[in-house]
Amino acid sequence: MTPLNPALDLELTRLFKAPPEKVWRCWTEPALLMQWFAPKPVATTEAILDLRAGGRFFTKMVLPDGSEHPNEGSFLEVIPNQKLAFTDLFSADWAPVASPGLGFSATLTFASEGGGTRYTARARHRTAEEAQKHADMGFHEGWGAASAQLDALSQTL
Amino acid sequence: MTQHSTDLNRIFQALSDPTRRAMLVRLLAGPAPVTALAEPTGMALPTVMRHLSVLEDAALIRSTKQGRTRLCHACPDTIAATEHWLGAQRALWEGRADRLEALLATLEQEPPP
Repeated sequence: MTPLNPALDLELTRLFKAPPEKVWRCWTEPALLMQWFAPKPVATTEAILDLRAGGRFFTKMVLPDGSEHPNEGSFLEVIPNQKLAFTDLFSADWAPVASPGLGFSATLTFASEGGGTRYTARARHRTAEEAQKHADMGFHEGWGAASAQLDALSQTL
Repeated sequence: MTQHSTDLNRIFQALSDPTRRAMLVRLLAGPAPVTALAEPTGMALPTVMRHLSVLEDAALIRSTKQGRTRLCHACPDTIAATEHWLGAQRALWEGRADRLEALLATLEQEPPP
């Protein structure tokens, strides 16, 4: 793999107690994915996952103000219980997305480690300019801010 | 294109080079003269000066003249600006990992099928 560019890419790793099979289910079963994919108060109301390379990966997010944000993408690589890669630059069957939002590819790996799962997420982004434009639209930043506010609020209840 | 995104592009272009990133990391530890920045690179001074001017044009560093030496300083405010969108993305993925872990914990309590 080409080295990550710290200006455009990010990587995080966690050790989960659950085995890879369960982490895989949470990522690939719509009913489970919808429970965690977006931070509250944003809700994931729809998820379509055609689990094959070139298969459609669609999610719809609904903000508290009722605005809907559909996210079109496709899978690049699907290795059950091990690896999942997707992008928003292509929709189903490699049809290029006319005007992608963020412009990224994400790779998740699920490796068995001590009865649990070594979870690694890498997200690589197209250009800083496009990413900033997307951030300026406020959606992703809104996510971060909204979840931080909610976390703070929930701790006071 | 807004002025803001133009500047940001310049910042990321400046940061795209490993030599310049190494120089910036060194300067974040404290101001340093050009000669000290040049030494670990093994590069000729004019090449080092070109790298430094790219960093300076992007406002990632500034330099001051002290007698016959030029002292370089990091500009943390500019570096903080780069955290803007990438920081938001990191927060999103970290948050996802947190929520995924929480959901997994509830699944763990399910009896085996």
